[in-house]
Amino acid sequence: MKYLAPLLLIILTGCSTVVPVTQRFPAVPQKLTEKCPPLKMLEDSPKLSDVSKTITQNYTAYNECAVRNTAWIEWYESQKTIYESITK
Amino acid sequence: MWILEWLPNWVFGVIFFGGFLGLLATYALKFIPFLSTYRIPIQLLSVIALCFGTYMLGAIADNNAWMKKVKEVEAKVAKAEVESAKENIKIVEKVVKKIEVVKVQGAEVIKYIDREVVKYDTIFAPGGACEIPKEFIQAHNDAAKVPE
Repeated sequence: MKYLAPLLLIILTGCSTVVPVTQRFPAVPQKLTEKCPPLKMLEDSPKLSDVSKTITQNYTAYNECAVRNTAWIEWYESQKTIYESITK
Repeated sequence: MWILEWLPNWVFGVIFFGGFLGLLATYALKFIPFLSTYRIPIQLLSVIALCFGTYMLGAIADNNAWMKKVKEVEAKVAKAEVESAKENIKIVEKVVKKIEVVKVQGAEVIKYIDREVVKYDTIFAPGGACEIPKEFIQAHNDAAKVPE
């Protein structure tokens, strides 16, 4: 009996198996990781055209940022769907 | 299971059938002197071999089933990685196109300002009839400032 117990223990340790499948989290496209730039300020005593230009540049910066943000959401949703399809 | 990596599967089949035959022999071949003399130890060893063989054959079947599942998951992961890469390309292409459109639109507006709004610069110049109030500039800059 004293020999049987360690033998059973040794056999049972064989049941500890490491799962060999690993899945890497997909890398985010670099284009989406660009930070939004700070908005431009108006200088003191600006011309009307300068005001107008600064506002336009800020709107453009916002729109670019919004495109990247929307793409981020789309990227997450699509990667989530792909990832979940593995476990189904 | 480490023991399955050390020994080939057929070894456990041999152990199982050895145990089975040993047990059978102690009952069926009692007339052989060796078997009748060592009947109890042979039976004991045969039972142990039978149990160990059964356990290991079960483990082999279980291991095979798991390996099959692992192969299936590996295939799914490989397929998912390809799909993921395709999706990334699609999204990046879309972003590049949209940002290009936004930039072109901004550039068009700047051109318009340089052509049309510029005409009003003198009216809205500091000291002019319609000077842009400092409060307007202050309000704009406060709104554009990133809160700390």
